[in-house]
Amino acid sequence: MIFIKGLLLVLLTLGFLIFAFSLKLKNFQRIVVIVGYITLFIFISDPILSDRVANLFGIEFGSSLITYLTIGVLSLVNVILFVDTKVNKDAITKIIREGAIRDARRV
Amino acid sequence: MSDTAIIIPMYNEETTIRGVILEIKERYPEFEIIVIDDGSEDNSYKEAEVKGVWLLKHLINLGQGAAIQTGIEFARRKNIKYIVTFDADGQHSADDIKEFVTLLKSGYDIVLGSRFLGEAKNISIVKKYFLKLSRVFTFFSTGIWLTDSHNGFRAINIGDFPDFNLTENRMAHASEIIDLMKKLKMRYIEKGCVIKYTDYSQRKGQSMLNAVGIIIEYIIGRLTR
Repeated sequence: MIFIKGLLLVLLTLGFLIFAFSLKLKNFQRIVVIVGYITLFIFISDPILSDRVANLFGIEFGSSLITYLTIGVLSLVNVILFVDTKVNKDAITKIIREGAIRDARRV
Repeated sequence: MSDTAIIIPMYNEETTIRGVILEIKERYPEFEIIVIDDGSEDNSYKEAEVKGVWLLKHLINLGQGAAIQTGIEFARRKNIKYIVTFDADGQHSADDIKEFVTLLKSGYDIVLGSRFLGEAKNISIVKKYFLKLSRVFTFFSTGIWLTDSHNGFRAINIGDFPDFNLTENRMAHASEIIDLMKKLKMRYIEKGCVIKYTDYSQRKGQSMLNAVGIIIEYIIGRLTR
């Protein structure tokens, strides 16, 4: 149990470091990542505390609260990625199209 | 320059494209022919080099919808008012173009080809009923009942409809056209046409599995448009 807890904390810290230092985050995003990291760190270290926090929201276990929050966060990330992909796709289409029209030739 | 153009999107059609262009050119020398090579990896671009044809090339493959939209934008810049979309795989018959253009010039804004009002030579039973089923989907999504909602043979008045622009890059553009038709209140008519299914065109055509992908693509596109 202690081993798994330690592994989770290492993975969480690695994820945090990658997020915090390899991506160009805005200040607001940086704060969200730091708050998320600290919260998860405490929840993993002290499951009883996480249960108490979950109880405040009418949820029995802290792990359930984390699961619900994760689903929400992942859905949000999905939407953000989808919008980004669409914006990029539209831009690529426009560039390719303009190039094709510019270089059009009558045989 | 003519006010009418035949737009041919092509992707890896080296075996058929020259024949398709030559047939159209011979029958309708008065029309412009615009071929859009959608990032072919074979010899299609070279094969499409027929005298008098406008040739455009996408650097990468974007999809048939994107290729048609490139043709539309190019045609608009050349002050072309009427376009006919025509497949590069030799499925469509050049004989039908004349009637489509005549109908368009008689006052319709869009003429939709229908293989079920015309003739679908060698169509497989599965494809036939799948296409018939897709009419139901089109009806529920647009409220327009068509006999053939996914036929690539159409004639469109783009001159009077500057907002007729396709945003769906791939095959979902066929459904987007029906959406645009409704949104822009275009006067439409279906006209029978001949579709010749050959082994080649069946191999190149959309599989039933792809159709599911097209539906998903269309739904997402519609939600985000």
